[in-house]
Amino acid sequence: MHGHGMEGCPGSRMQDFRDNKETKGDESGKRASELRQWPIQLHLVSPMAPYYQKADVLLSADCVAYTVGDFHRDYLKGKSIAIACPKLDEGQEVYAEKIQSLIDDAKINTLTVMTMQVPCCAGLVATAQAGASQAKRKIPLKSIVVSLQGDVLSEEWVS
Amino acid sequence: MEEFLNKNIKYIIAQYPEVGKILERYNIGCTTCSVGSCLLKDIIEIHNLSPEVEAELLYEIERVVFPGKEVKKRPLRQRAVRPQGEIKYSPPIKKLVDEHVLIKRFIALIEPLCALVDSSKEPDFGLILDCVDFIRNYADKYHHLKEEDVLFKRIGEDLDIIKVMLEDHTTGRNHVKQIIEGARAKDKAWVIEHLKGYKELLTQHIKKEDEILYPWIDRGLSTSDVGKLYVEFSEKDASLPDDFQKRYQDFVKQVEDTLNKRR
Ligand SMILES: [Fe+2]
Ligand SMILES: [Fe+2]
Repeated sequence: MHGHGMEGCPGSRMQDFRDNKETKGDESGKRASELRQWPIQLHLVSPMAPYYQKADVLLSADCVAYTVGDFHRDYLKGKSIAIACPKLDEGQEVYAEKIQSLIDDAKINTLTVMTMQVPCCAGLVATAQAGASQAKRKIPLKSIVVSLQGDVLSEEWVS
Repeated sequence: MEEFLNKNIKYIIAQYPEVGKILERYNIGCTTCSVGSCLLKDIIEIHNLSPEVEAELLYEIERVVFPGKEVKKRPLRQRAVRPQGEIKYSPPIKKLVDEHVLIKRFIALIEPLCALVDSSKEPDFGLILDCVDFIRNYADKYHHLKEEDVLFKRIGEDLDIIKVMLEDHTTGRNHVKQIIEGARAKDKAWVIEHLKGYKELLTQHIKKEDEILYPWIDRGLSTSDVGKLYVEFSEKDASLPDDFQKRYQDFVKQVEDTLNKRR
C-alpha cells in the first residue's frame, strides 16, 4: 500500500505550483467583469430574481473562479451565477430546493455545474442533480470539472 | 487546391475516382452518397479529423489531383478536436439518437418480414400496413418532423449536408407510398422491393446522422442553444398523446414476437 490514504483529505492537501508554472496567455489589455448580478452566494440569491428568469445558470464551487484564468470570459459570460462550497457551507438542505425552484419557477434554460477535481467537490453536482430530479421541468445539466491548475478536465452533459 | 476544396464531392469523385478510394480509407463514406452535393472542405470539417490526419488526407488528395506537381504537406490547422471514441451527445441530440434505436429495431425486422411475405401464399398485407403506420407516425411524424421543423431549420436548411438529409426523408416517403400501393394491389414483389429500399436508405441515413451529422451539430451548439433545442423538442413531444412512445414500442415488440415464432 502506498501512502496516499494516510495524507488526510486530498481536497485539502497542500500543493505548490510556483515552480512549474510559467505565465501563459496574453497579459495586455483590461478585461471587464462579466458578472451581471448581486448577490451570488446560493444562500443569498433568490430564484425569483429577474436575472435568473429563463437564464443559462452557472453553479460554481467557490474555488473555481480563483483557479480558472479566464473564468469570466470563458464560463461566466452570458450566464447568471450562483456559488457554493459543498464541503464547508452550512444548511445545504436548502440548496437542492433552490435549484428545484430555479428550474420550476425561474424556468432556467440550462444549468452548468463547475467543480474542482477534489472528491468533496463532486457533492455540488450531486446536489444539482437532486434538485433537478425533484423539479417538474426537465432541463439539460452540464458538469465541468477543473484541475487545481485551472485546466478543464472534463466537460459533459449529465442529463 | 483551395478552389478544389470548394467543389462538391460528386464532381470530384467523377473526375478523380482515386480520391473516393482515399476518402474510403479514411472512413469517410461519401462515395456511396446518393446526392453528393457537399463540398470537399465541408466534408473534411464535418468528420472531425485530428490536425495530423487532416493534413495527411489533404496531402494524399492533392497528389492525386495535381500529378507531377511538387506537393508539400500543409501546416497543421490548430483547432479544437473532440476526442474520438464513444460519442457523447447533448441531451436534445441524445433524444433523437434514442429514437433511432427503436427505428433501427424496426428496420432489423424488414428482412424477415420480406421473407415471410415472399413465402406466403396469401401474405398478411394488413401487417404491412401496420408497419407503414409505424414508419409514418413514429419514424416520420414523430422523429423526422423534430429534425425538419426544429433542428434542421436551426442549423440551416440551405446547407448541403442538411439538403442531403432532407432528400433522404423525401426518398423514404416515396418508398412508403409505393409500399402502400403495392399492398393495395396485393403485389408481393412491389411491396418487397420498396420495403428493402426503405431499409437500405434508413440504415445509411441513421448512420450518417448518428456518426457524422449529430456530432458535428453538437460541436457547434452553445450551452444556451442546447437548452432552447431541448425545450422545443419537449414542446413537440408534448403535443402527442401520452401513450405515443409506448404504443410504438409495443408494436415493434409485437412484430418481433410474431416473426420469431415463424422462424
Ligand atoms: Fe433524418
Ligand atoms: Fe434521424
